[in-house]
Amino acid sequence: MGVLVFLTVLLVAACGLIYELIAGTIASYLIGDSVFQFSTVIGTYLFAMGLGSALSRYLEKGLIQKFIWVELMLGVVGGFSSAGLMWAFAFTEGFQIVLYALVIVMGVLVGLEIPLLMRIVKDRYSFRDVVAHVLTFDYLGALGASLLFPILLIPHLGLIRSALFFGLINAAVALWSTFLFAPQLMEKRILRASCLLVLCILTGGIVRAKQITATAEDNIYADEIILAKDTRYQHIVLTRFKDDLRLFLNSHLQFSSRDEYRYHEALVHPGLAAIPFARSVLVLGGGDGLAVREILKYPQVEKITLVDLDPEMTKLFSTQSMLTALNQKSLSSPRLHIINADAFPWVDQSTESFDFIVIDFPDPTNYALGKLYTTAFYRAVARHLSAQGLLVVQSTSPMFARDSFWCIAETVRKAGLQTFPYHLYVPSFGEWGFVLAGTHAYVAPKSIPNGLRFLSPDGIPLLFQFPPDMARIPMPANELNTQVLVRTYENDWKDISH
Amino acid sequence: MKIGRRKFLATGSAALIGLSLKSERKIEGSFVNEAAAAGHLLRDRKSFTAAKQTVRIPIVIVGGGISGLSAAWRLQKRGFNDFVLLEMNDQAGGNARSGENEITAYPWAAHYVPVPGTQAGYVRELFADLGVLKNGQWEERYLVFAPQERLFLYGRWQDGIEPAVGLAQKDREQFQRLEERFAKYRSTGAFTVPLEVGYSKQFAELDRISFTDWLKGNGFDSRLLNWYMNYACRDDYGALAGDTSAWAGIHYFSSREAEEKGPLTWPEGNGWITKRLLERVGNKVRTSQMVHRIVESVRGASVFAGDTEYQAEFVIFSAPTFLGPYVIDGLPRLNDFVYSPWLTANLTLERLPVSPGAEPSWDTVFLDSPTLGYVDATHQSLRTHIDRTVWTFYWALADGTPAQNRQMLLQSDWGYWKEAILRDLERVHKDIRQCVSRIDIMRMGHAMIRPALGAISSEERIRLKRRDGRILFANSDLSGISIFEEAQFHGVEAAQVALRHLGGRR
Repeated sequence: MGVLVFLTVLLVAACGLIYELIAGTIASYLIGDSVFQFSTVIGTYLFAMGLGSALSRYLEKGLIQKFIWVELMLGVVGGFSSAGLMWAFAFTEGFQIVLYALVIVMGVLVGLEIPLLMRIVKDRYSFRDVVAHVLTFDYLGALGASLLFPILLIPHLGLIRSALFFGLINAAVALWSTFLFAPQLMEKRILRASCLLVLCILTGGIVRAKQITATAEDNIYADEIILAKDTRYQHIVLTRFKDDLRLFLNSHLQFSSRDEYRYHEALVHPGLAAIPFARSVLVLGGGDGLAVREILKYPQVEKITLVDLDPEMTKLFSTQSMLTALNQKSLSSPRLHIINADAFPWVDQSTESFDFIVIDFPDPTNYALGKLYTTAFYRAVARHLSAQGLLVVQSTSPMFARDSFWCIAETVRKAGLQTFPYHLYVPSFGEWGFVLAGTHAYVAPKSIPNGLRFLSPDGIPLLFQFPPDMARIPMPANELNTQVLVRTYENDWKDISH
Repeated sequence: MKIGRRKFLATGSAALIGLSLKSERKIEGSFVNEAAAAGHLLRDRKSFTAAKQTVRIPIVIVGGGISGLSAAWRLQKRGFNDFVLLEMNDQAGGNARSGENEITAYPWAAHYVPVPGTQAGYVRELFADLGVLKNGQWEERYLVFAPQERLFLYGRWQDGIEPAVGLAQKDREQFQRLEERFAKYRSTGAFTVPLEVGYSKQFAELDRISFTDWLKGNGFDSRLLNWYMNYACRDDYGALAGDTSAWAGIHYFSSREAEEKGPLTWPEGNGWITKRLLERVGNKVRTSQMVHRIVESVRGASVFAGDTEYQAEFVIFSAPTFLGPYVIDGLPRLNDFVYSPWLTANLTLERLPVSPGAEPSWDTVFLDSPTLGYVDATHQSLRTHIDRTVWTFYWALADGTPAQNRQMLLQSDWGYWKEAILRDLERVHKDIRQCVSRIDIMRMGHAMIRPALGAISSEERIRLKRRDGRILFANSDLSGISIFEEAQFHGVEAAQVALRHLGGRR
């Protein structure tokens, strides 16, 4: 019996630690700043455990029965903690209130466990042995849990099911205890029935959770989702696998932190380095601040105006530590002026003039975004170009969406500008293209900022050469009343995926 | 399958917890722009206050719709500024009126102008003035954005309103053959916009049979084809094909070249043109001025409105011609002017309904609905993100006699029409009641002239169109077809007649 009792200690200790880790992990995933989240969750949890230990002295008779009830309660509360936290994030504004309330309830229950168990077995062993054994197994359980959590549980079960699985262990411990301590127990039937009920509920939860994850976007995104946010304008998802951070807007990949430098260096420098007089720059789209990070490498640029539709997006990339590390806090630069507005109406009403304009919108996957790739739009933007200024347009892939790429180039040309299309390879995207445009001939820059990882002055002219399989093909311009680009783009990508 | 993460978390955890939510919105609204009461004062020949002052002015324009505003535009363009325009309503524009809320401007009636062909010289001139036509190019922002039209049929959407899915061989063959017939009529040059340019008596016999009978007589019995022809007649004339002159039915399809570019349109529909015209001639416009009597003499005409008598040399009568006999002394009752009753409604949507399979289009039509569907006012917006919008819902009360329908239109209350509109939309947009927060309804007993049998070749019309008296008739109903181009044509022509006479003396 002795070994079994201490095995119980090991299991309940593991459960206790798992709930704490889950709360900390979900808090960091959903609201970021993991150091703060883990510190406060662990602190609160330990404090609540102390509270539980203190409260344990008021429990007197029927300790075994009470221990079983504690296990069952913990099984339910801890088991559903993941689902509950995600629900709170999705449905309420008070995620943190729910988080800390849950941490306190779980902490108190966990805090009750060990004192109760010690008192249950105290008559069988000397005090010295009880303390030594119980604490040994307690710490062993904690070690096991802390290793299992990142290696097995999160990758294979995910957060919701890991919690439910450990809820099951708590309930199983409760059921097991009704047998282990059978001689000292009254009303075994009621207790066992309750245990079975809780086991059923938790199993049901696991089955449902499996069903949900089978249809959910966990399957769309290969990596762990560390942040998911529905703003008024879009659905922002951030995933991470080891050091690779990826941003998806409405399920479309925007960058991978491993190779975004290629994209953003190529987006900004071929144009901006070619106009050494540039003082003012406009960025349309690009709320991630990565293009701005590149623009800030030019000390002569005095003013950058960033127009991005979504305030949540620019806020996220101004405050979230992982993201500000990536954009080097570019969105907090005093040279930057952020405007959260719809680009086309903003361009229409603004009277400012810019030396360099970066147009970095999501691909034209629908008619709404398609408006931002029309002759009408480029004409409106071109009115803001200073005499020798340049603009650059993110233009999808000349390889996978060759028709679309050359349709965009033709559209910019028809808006009255000279175009200089170029391309590069971005591993996470494949071949990607841009259209540089202005009212004068383009001369590639002789010098570029120091410290670039992809571009070199010798390499820039090479970007403008297109091999035969990506070469220009005649395409009509995209206009508001035809929106040929949206259909072209759809067909381009359909052709590859079939 | 794409599920938003938050939605997934929500449904996932709600499923775990067993929670579901559903709610219905409260829908507000009222009748707006009511004109019947004022009009009925004229009909019932109520007594009006006697004139207290007299104003001598060479030209008075009666009616501030497109015809009257176009007459004013022409006068002003020719440097003639000695005129006044009297409008009965508190807002000028007539069938090109518009409204606006915090979401968007929206039309109250006419909402587009087809890209004008070379024969519509006045329209092209106006559009050049307004910056719609620049160096031979139509301004991209004013051409309807893609996607333009969609039809809901057989539980799915298709692009365009002419039925193209689920056609049997016979349907296909008849659509093809009909298009060939229309092309032949088009090539005669007799069917033009404006109508006056090409009209000849050569095809007058087509005006004596109904469009339905013409279709039947030529072997067109496809159900879908007949639905589409009926839709066209309801949309442009407020009448069923059986109540429409075959000449007018053919004119609808044979008067314009098959243009690749869509029509010209604006969020507030033709209200945009009204606004631009008012920017130019608004200082001549007096609103809430109901003209209750006009007395014609050899040397001019007196126009009585409120407490003022305007002594004019010419009156351009741009108001609907049917008002003439109630206002103009000695004008006999008109027999060939039949008007279709309509209602339009503007619906404020707090969110878009779920419509799988099609992106929101400019114009949405449901097959076999008695209504004409709706137009999305934010479709011409340059914004990429649109979560709230306004739909303008069109309903020509075509089934039955105009008199019966007019009575029903006026007798049924707002709640009745609100329900009727929602029920129609609900056939396709199941969640419409959760989306709509407001429905404002405009009732128009005499919304548009109906090209009934004999209307186009009517002697009565030919007489009024001569414009040889001191009162120059100018409403679009003189053409028998209520479209922008006809209204503008008659307004401009009337102005030119007046200028010709007055100019000789100045």
